Amino acid sequence: MIAGVCSGLADHLGWPVKYVRLGMILACFAGGAGVAFYAWLWTMVPTADENAKRNARRPASSIAPAVSLPPVPVPGVGPATAAYDAGGSATVPGDRSAGGTAAAGPTAGPGDGGTASPAGAPYGFGAASAEDRWGGTALASWFSFRRIQYGKEILLGAALLLVAAILIARQFGVDVPLGTLIPAAAILGGAAIAWMQLDETRRAGLVDKTKADQAGGWVRLAAGLALVVAGVLVMVSGSGSWEQTWLALLASVAVLGGVALVLLPWGLKFWKDLETERAGRVRETERAEIAAHLHDSVLQTLALIQRRAGSEQDVVRLARAQERELRAWLFSDAAKESGLLADRIKSVAAEVEDSHGQAVEVVTVGDTAMTDRHEALVQAAREAMLNAARHGGGTVSVYMESTAGSTEIFIKDRGPGFDPDAVPEDRLGVKESIIGRMKRHGGSAVITSSSAGTEVRLALPSATVEAGEQRTSDVRNGESKQ
Amino acid sequence: MNTNPDSDAGRRVRVVIVDDHTIFRSGLKADLDERMDVVGEAGTVEQAIAVIAEKRPEVVLLDVHLPGGLGGGGREVIAGSNALLGTTSFLALSVSDAAEDVVSVIRAGARGYVTKTISGKEISDAVIRVADGDAVFSPRLAGFVLDAFGTAPADIADDELDKLSARELEVMRLIARGYSYKEVAKELFISIKTVETHVSAVLRKLQLSSRHELTKWAAERRLL
Repeated sequence: MIAGVCSGLADHLGWPVKYVRLGMILACFAGGAGVAFYAWLWTMVPTADENAKRNARRPASSIAPAVSLPPVPVPGVGPATAAYDAGGSATVPGDRSAGGTAAAGPTAGPGDGGTASPAGAPYGFGAASAEDRWGGTALASWFSFRRIQYGKEILLGAALLLVAAILIARQFGVDVPLGTLIPAAAILGGAAIAWMQLDETRRAGLVDKTKADQAGGWVRLAAGLALVVAGVLVMVSGSGSWEQTWLALLASVAVLGGVALVLLPWGLKFWKDLETERAGRVRETERAEIAAHLHDSVLQTLALIQRRAGSEQDVVRLARAQERELRAWLFSDAAKESGLLADRIKSVAAEVEDSHGQAVEVVTVGDTAMTDRHEALVQAAREAMLNAARHGGGTVSVYMESTAGSTEIFIKDRGPGFDPDAVPEDRLGVKESIIGRMKRHGGSAVITSSSAGTEVRLALPSATVEAGEQRTSDVRNGESKQ
Repeated sequence: MNTNPDSDAGRRVRVVIVDDHTIFRSGLKADLDERMDVVGEAGTVEQAIAVIAEKRPEVVLLDVHLPGGLGGGGREVIAGSNALLGTTSFLALSVSDAAEDVVSVIRAGARGYVTKTISGKEISDAVIRVADGDAVFSPRLAGFVLDAFGTAPADIADDELDKLSARELEVMRLIARGYSYKEVAKELFISIKTVETHVSAVLRKLQLSSRHELTKWAAERRLL
């Protein structure tokens, strides 16, 4: 109800939300355990959104396809997992997170050793290494645990049960040595938090580095460190005396500082190596991609041109098509592959260029989203371009200007020209495909032709201003025609 | 651009060609007609600055992408030849249609921009035009200008550098539509000289304007 933890838990366990909420509320009365549990789940368990994002962000890996698959939630995997899985409740079972890492830390297999220890090689050891690059460290290492052992879950469950047992025992008046237990728990918890953070930054560095993540990570590291230090101190000193504790604290901070000072250059060097290696890998990938593209496009076209060297038109056409392809690859965003008018006009022009071997130069100003009416405009423009390429000779100039009020396209060639009125009735190209089509969609088409060339002007007012704009645009066309 | 504004027949324009591809340089040299003398060639930014300073040509045909220097290419050559800008004009040549390439050399001080696929006749005319102090606009450059300045004409109250006048817009539109200067003049019932004046005015605005929209437009295309 507050953060959706109960419903997430219910969803995961397959129990009705009601019972879960009821249980949670009852637990709240049991010494506030419910509140702590709730808060723990809230902070540690990824929300459904986060989880989906994480899964979506990870590209399918050819290296480890099985590992890259999102885990399938299996309700009631077993009693051992259930305890831990409660932690993964809001979403997918056991998607790393949680204090699981903590409990497993000391006994972890080689995979975790790589992530937790600062001495670990950049790309880890063992099973998790291949997936690291894909940002799947966490999931992969989790999987490796699943495969090797359920140690993490069992340990966590045992720890929780232990805590519960101790609390119950206290309730019944049994004397529990809390003096040693609490510091021990603090150490364990602190170490857990610190290790978790290491894992987290590694993943963050691999997937996407955001400041917020790092800040959170540092806070967590500091908290873990503080807990561990405090725990160790209390345990070692054995007394609650503040003076003694402060002195010890000072000493330990000094020692820690010294250790940090010694390890710093080594750590920095290690980090730099990691960065260099990563950059090198990125460069290598890019180079390979460029080489592959050049091979598939430019080299093939050059081979074709050599074979067709006899036909000038073929050579020009091939060279032109290749130029266009390369240009598109070099200068335009792949992500910009949109349904916008300018792109459509360009692709239609490219098609005409390919089929007739005439250069079509497209200049666009402004852009607009495609609609059915704009599709008609594109088709009319295509017809005009085809005519220009067929009869005009020389470069065809296409200019598209789109403003809030209307969209205009001009198609100009430098051919011998023709008399639009003398076009026979049965020739549908100009009459139907250009003029008729534009009229039907509320636009207009004006064709001017002289011995110096032909220009087709297509105008399509925006749907909203259609009624008013229509007349003025006609008038303007009429004026500039004379 | 197939017009040749009243150039006296005996006139020879001294040209330096700057391009890092030897084959392209020799091809271009062969393409230029008898009105031009190629007095020097260069393949890098440093060579170009040295050759231009030594030969003092009227026109430099300048590739936008050049090796050497600080990586600034043609822009850097213009900047390095700043002292000569009064007597030497730069005509930018490029295979690239990218707005950042085109507009950055224009803003550096080039008098025009043409693509390398231009024919021999057209490039010769463009060189003569630049030598006469006029600007050379390809349809694509006109398109960029319209995109950058917007297609609405300026109010009289506007700062004169900030927007194109209605007439300048008309000229730019016609050039974008593939009209030559002569055809523009005919279409608008004005003289070629007037067209050239308008184009030069637009070039000046493109070079000097710090208009908010232009800055934004440039920033969007990573020009600044």
